[in-house]
Amino acid sequence: MCDIIWCKKCNTVNYLDPYCFWNWEGKINCAECGEVYYIHMIQGHMYRGPEPRPGEKPDIMPLYADKPLEGYKNYLPGTEGRTRPYNCTPRHIYLGHADYRKFSIRNRPMRAWAPQPAAGGVAGAYGFYWDIKKLSPEVWEEYQEKIKKGEVRDW
Amino acid sequence: MTDPREVRLEDLPGPKSREELEDMKAPYEEYCRKLFDVGNEYVKPAALDGIRWMSCTMYIFTPHSVSNLAELGAEVIKIEMPRMGDPMRHTSPFNECYYYPLHDTRPKTGTGIGVLNANVNEYYITMDYHREEAKEPFYRLVKMSDGLTECYRPGTFDRWKQSYRYLQEINPRFIYVWGGGFGYGPKAFGGSYDILGQSHAGLASITGFHEDFGGHPVKHTNWCIDWYSGTQITVAVLAALYWRRKTGLGTMIEFSQVQAATRCTGYAVPLYGRFGVVRQRWGNWDTQLCVHGIILCGKSDYPDEKNPQLRNEARYVMVSAFNDPDFKELCNIIKRPDLYEKYKTHKQRVEAEAQVEIYREIEKWAADKSRSEVVRILTDAGILAAPVKNDKEVYDSEHFRQRGSVRWLDDPMMGDVLCHSSFSCGLLSETPRRKFWDFRPVGADNIKVYHELLGYPMSTIKKWYEENLI
Amino acid sequence: MAREVKEVEIKSRADTLKQRPWPASPPPSREEVAKVYARRKAEEFGAWCEDNLWFHKRFDKPEALQGVRVLEVGQWRLGNMFAGSLLAELGAEVIKVEPPEGDPVRKYTPFGREEYMLKDPETGEPCGLEFIHEMRNKYSVTLNLETPEGRKLYKGLAARADIIFEEYPPGYMDELGIGYRQLSKINPRLIYCWIGVLGQWGPEKDRVSKFGQWMLDPFAQAACSFIHNTGYPDDFLPRGSGGDPTRSGVWLCDYVAGEQAAVNALAALYYRDEKSGRGQFIEVTGAEAMLDILDFDISWYGFNESIKARTGAWDPNLNQYAWNPCKDGYMMIGGQTDRLWYRIGMCIERDLPQFGRLIHEDPLLKEMAARNALQALTKTYTLTAMWLRETNRVEAEEKLMEYEIAAGPLLYIDETCEFPHFKYRPWIYSIEDEHYGTLLYATATTSFQQRTPARVKWLGRPLGKDNGEIFIKYLGVGQRMQEVLKEKGVI
Ligand SMILES: [Zn+2]
Repeated sequence: MCDIIWCKKCNTVNYLDPYCFWNWEGKINCAECGEVYYIHMIQGHMYRGPEPRPGEKPDIMPLYADKPLEGYKNYLPGTEGRTRPYNCTPRHIYLGHADYRKFSIRNRPMRAWAPQPAAGGVAGAYGFYWDIKKLSPEVWEEYQEKIKKGEVRDW
Repeated sequence: MTDPREVRLEDLPGPKSREELEDMKAPYEEYCRKLFDVGNEYVKPAALDGIRWMSCTMYIFTPHSVSNLAELGAEVIKIEMPRMGDPMRHTSPFNECYYYPLHDTRPKTGTGIGVLNANVNEYYITMDYHREEAKEPFYRLVKMSDGLTECYRPGTFDRWKQSYRYLQEINPRFIYVWGGGFGYGPKAFGGSYDILGQSHAGLASITGFHEDFGGHPVKHTNWCIDWYSGTQITVAVLAALYWRRKTGLGTMIEFSQVQAATRCTGYAVPLYGRFGVVRQRWGNWDTQLCVHGIILCGKSDYPDEKNPQLRNEARYVMVSAFNDPDFKELCNIIKRPDLYEKYKTHKQRVEAEAQVEIYREIEKWAADKSRSEVVRILTDAGILAAPVKNDKEVYDSEHFRQRGSVRWLDDPMMGDVLCHSSFSCGLLSETPRRKFWDFRPVGADNIKVYHELLGYPMSTIKKWYEENLI
Repeated sequence: MAREVKEVEIKSRADTLKQRPWPASPPPSREEVAKVYARRKAEEFGAWCEDNLWFHKRFDKPEALQGVRVLEVGQWRLGNMFAGSLLAELGAEVIKVEPPEGDPVRKYTPFGREEYMLKDPETGEPCGLEFIHEMRNKYSVTLNLETPEGRKLYKGLAARADIIFEEYPPGYMDELGIGYRQLSKINPRLIYCWIGVLGQWGPEKDRVSKFGQWMLDPFAQAACSFIHNTGYPDDFLPRGSGGDPTRSGVWLCDYVAGEQAAVNALAALYYRDEKSGRGQFIEVTGAEAMLDILDFDISWYGFNESIKARTGAWDPNLNQYAWNPCKDGYMMIGGQTDRLWYRIGMCIERDLPQFGRLIHEDPLLKEMAARNALQALTKTYTLTAMWLRETNRVEAEEKLMEYEIAAGPLLYIDETCEFPHFKYRPWIYSIEDEHYGTLLYATATTSFQQRTPARVKWLGRPLGKDNGEIFIKYLGVGQRMQEVLKEKGVI
């Protein structure tokens, strides 16, 4: 065996991330069926286990698990009761894909969403001015609203 | 001991103007503020006005070496691959933050914030330089520039007839920089990254907690070896410019970032050389001073915050009391005067076993306190202590705001961008560093450079663009 | 340069303090390396590079900064020392001004071990290796700036200097009447650069303790969020065992501030000589110079209130781009674009077929940007480490090199010193120093230049060794007067 646990009961692969489990002894659950396994790992090798320990309480959960045979259905980090939360995520919302934003945290427009209307000239040349009023009038409108409401700040 | 050549302050006539008189009398802080005049950088001259540099660079390391010049006033032309741009444009933490567009033909692709601050104030053109038609515009640029920085694998530019071997014939004043991982030698063709520098050069082996404490070598959070090595290229370039003023001759500089990582390991190399002792990791403490380390406090400063980054992590304090009276006072504060009796001299307390004991006792004392309580108690007692700050706290810092090292920029293309760079690498009273813009879309300045500077007709530029040459 | 290899016999603790043989094995020969170039059809270019950039020709060439005079005036910290070193390596004349008892950095030694210090040949006073290694090509003079005579002599030196790197607490020099605002009146061409931790002005400027102790790095690392963002998360390792915010093993902010001080000072020198004829005042701090190179971290907060997470040895922006544990240590592997990423996988798959099944076939890992998601990193690195645990560093490097992957072992200092490429360049080299004997050191990073390569001429300097020469040369203060001044505690 190795440092994934391919759960025979439910065909889920539980990934044992190397820094946490390189030298580790204890019980870990399967993210899908909850089966508890005892493992003892030394230098990344499974010295003992995984031995099923039905009914016992796990010491730790995997960080990530997926099901390669069922279209790679997966359990992302921090799925309650199944995978370990990654408390060090950059913030409480974690996306993993582009976070389209039209305004910075002080509510001024920034060009951080797609698609952007084409605005370049010959050979992709651009000037030194983002004509937001013309290119994205709806964002400009929204910005005016924010100004009126006093939401646009210096910091 | 009088020296006739020495001009003594006492001998000088008094202040020459009212302003000067006030300057001489002003409290020091006020004087500094006035002299540096943060916020009004743009109206002052720039040190390197008139220098033009070509940046055939990618990623962070070599771009930053040129960016330093651009912040100091050099005009820089950044050359990227048509449509694609610098690979660094495609990096963003956890794939989340991009500015758009990368290029008009790719409206859904953005430039990731990984590239921020690496190529500021530059003009962006595209060129597929290994095509024969690119030679002429490339050489035209070389003739009217002061130098070039490139980062391709050794021999690549030579194959394309644009290595220093060729360019010094065209422009003897040309300063040519190659930056990469290794340079000539057995691993010449080895690729390199920041992280390779950190790991290969010994720096990682001395950063992080020792394995006896359960730790592993730690990667510095930023691409520090890229950035830090890039700045040393800038040092070499400025020295070469100084020398060129005397001789009129350029030079070639070959710079390896992996080497630069070893350069900052302090006593590690001579210690090994003389005694065969291999420097190890020592976590958050200091191998040469004690007390001078980071401790964990029991309580967070933001126990109720939703974000675990605030809720769990705001618990660390940097404490420093290595001199005898400071250490004595610290022991009194934590109610362990016996520790001072036990480790009266610095030599005693900096021993490894002593450090383990001392920090453990400080952490015990801090176990029922929050980070800010610990900092307050120690600071009130006159001991040096400071919180380990996070990104939010840096943003909120009044200190950095007043000094202009964190500020908002109205970027001409990307809109509102928070900037913690450029201005922050030093205040200069006469020729301050500055940032006009961070980056621009791929090829944004093609007309400005190919047409306005190099004299190619618009029809040629259109043709080149259609042929994917630019 | 290959030297005879000597065996070291260790029978007692005293034997461990003997000079080590270095290199233990000779570097590759030029002929062997020529074959490396030839394999890439770059034989001619390789030869050209070696002819023009060859390290061992550095003393055959002139120095770029010859004629530039620099004063280095600081204590306790490495910022001013590194700034001075960078210019001294390139040929500037750098004079370190120390108090008569010496810069306390001279006393630094790991864990207080005096046996790792080297004795001053004249006074017998032990000096630490940290100081010796950074005291490159510099003169040492002593001056007690708290005495009027000391200040007067200092002003005389400043009157003739092009650049001063000063690193004292904020306003200290000004109070003594020898700060920028006074010296610039004596010498308007002077470029005066103050270096510090947080600033000489502003609400959180540099402090000293009630008892006069200075603020030193890693205070700068703590103030700019560098420490907070570095280290393993406590999701990987328990707190207290590495799952904590972690400082750099070295005083990195000092180095970063020092090099930016050098850049700013040289730019000011160029501006002075090319245009204005005047010097200027510069201020560089460790916290802010690090903030400049802290990637995008604070900008990211301005984007969507993100606070950067710790990810240990994994980089959250690139996949693969990390080191992971292997059979005999840690192995760094990098390759992000599809071309490189799949090549890494092909290499691993040869030994570990499961890698192909679980990684290459996963549709969620097909797109480059998507591979940077946290779960994608977790999955990729778990499988990579499964391969690495069976593979030692040398094997892993050889295998990955076949696929032209940027990969390298995480090396310990002894391994770094013996790494063939490092010895060939050389990046580690030894010098027979006049005062301290044979020393191994990290060479100047700017040594590899066609016309004006940097060089290390000497390392370390006995305290006040150059008083005689400098005081007579620049101040006309002769030996008799120096004796008097010494008696009075001025020098
Ligand atoms: Zn299961």
